[in-house]
Amino acid sequence: MTCYSRGVRRGRILAIKWGMNPNSSSLGVDVTFLLVGATVLAAVTPVIGALLRWRRPATLEPAAAPAAPPERVEPA
Amino acid sequence: MTIAGALGRLAVRGVDTALAALERVRRERANPPRRARLERFGAIVQLTVPRALVFVDRALARRVVAAGRAAADPPIWAQPETAIGDAPLSAPLEAHLQLTNRCDAGCRGCYTGASPEGARGEWGLAEWTRAIDELADAGVFHVALGGGESAVLPWLGELADHARRRGIVPNLTTSGLAGLDRLLAIAGRFGQINVSLDGLGATYARVRGFDGFARADAAIRALRRVKREVGINVVVTRDNFAELDGLFAYAAQRRLSEVELLRFKPAGRGARAYAELRCSDAQHRAFLPAVLAAARRHAVRVVVDCSYTPMLAHHRPDRALLAELAVYGCTGGDFLVGAKPGGQLTACSFAAPPPVASDAARPRITELRSYWDAPDAFGAFRRWRDAREPCASCEYHALCRGGCKVVSAHVTGELAAPDPECPRVVDRAAARSDRVHLRVLDSR
Repeated sequence: MTCYSRGVRRGRILAIKWGMNPNSSSLGVDVTFLLVGATVLAAVTPVIGALLRWRRPATLEPAAAPAAPPERVEPA
Repeated sequence: MTIAGALGRLAVRGVDTALAALERVRRERANPPRRARLERFGAIVQLTVPRALVFVDRALARRVVAAGRAAADPPIWAQPETAIGDAPLSAPLEAHLQLTNRCDAGCRGCYTGASPEGARGEWGLAEWTRAIDELADAGVFHVALGGGESAVLPWLGELADHARRRGIVPNLTTSGLAGLDRLLAIAGRFGQINVSLDGLGATYARVRGFDGFARADAAIRALRRVKREVGINVVVTRDNFAELDGLFAYAAQRRLSEVELLRFKPAGRGARAYAELRCSDAQHRAFLPAVLAAARRHAVRVVVDCSYTPMLAHHRPDRALLAELAVYGCTGGDFLVGAKPGGQLTACSFAAPPPVASDAARPRITELRSYWDAPDAFGAFRRWRDAREPCASCEYHALCRGGCKVVSAHVTGELAAPDPECPRVVDRAAARSDRVHLRVLDSR
């Protein structure tokens, strides 16, 4: 897949598994890209690469969810 | 279809996608999903918008994953860098949890053999919560919850909430035939909900053995009113194959986010109905062009299950493109695992639990991490490289991995046999049969 090398090796996206699989019996794979072929995927991949670089580096653990706001106590 | 009509449909789809993305961002700000996991080849990074798991090599992982930026490489990178598929992943991408085997529908092809009584020893909320904890600790990204009919479980929403809190995105399959009111109230907690719909009108009844289309359709409409990421799962049989285009049209009309096409598997009650319902060889060969044409015509996203990889490979698509789309055949015990209603760990939902270990206990999903690296874990599912012909010489074998082992086991008695419904396997069997006939003729 697209290589971002220009002198220094910047790394590659190897594969993209699109969407989420709700099917509890097998692994679903989005094949819509087979309609449009490698050219469109080659155009999309740098965008995904840019998104990855643009974000803060991903942590390995999921970020802690913000604590629930304290319940409002009505004045007596 | 007119150009204006096609543009209109694409515009509607674009608006739906954008609004779904906005809702997703809002929802996932409250419960951020796991963002990355290191692998031998590099890392897997999760994106929320667009929804994707991105497999990157080590060089890119060093830039985009926090642990990869440390001065010293993480231990998983101590060995030489591999390619995807050279070794099992460090943990599954997703787990398929059969929360219950209770279901009143009684579909004649049900792969779990679900019944109103359910299975013996079904787990409850406490056990499944522990399972979610184990999956989160292992680094799993998504769970697909199913049954039986999971929507009837009073604690389903609580379990989905727990998965979210642990950084796992819960997704759901439902028949839409029971538990709808409860499901509508918790639909927002799921990443994607698909309703099983194996045909329109009378075809639904022909495939499933009872007339449930109106109820399933009503459930789809109700779910779609409260959630954008709703799709349909279609088990493709010889009865509904000709109606695939109509199912895509239905999905477009209901503004559903995807159509997921599933191959009929000979498991549960489906084993008895297999000969009658499975697609013909001609239908398997026509599958890919037919579904791509329907997806294009109706501007609907199409997802196919892993067991269809031999039917995709039959059309000789660009192998690099398939790899870039993470299109793999049997990835049971690698990209995915399953769990039975009593927590028994399986390579996939159709497979029997692994053989009893020396301590006479079958592994449970709560023991995933200790079993994952055990010697010969998942048996034949991980030994797909030991392929015989015609898989051994097939240039798609590294992707296809021999096709669906559950079909192989049912038809040939061997999990490791080449998928007997793969067109290449069918052609080879036919050629061998011709040679035998010729030999018989020669000997006369």
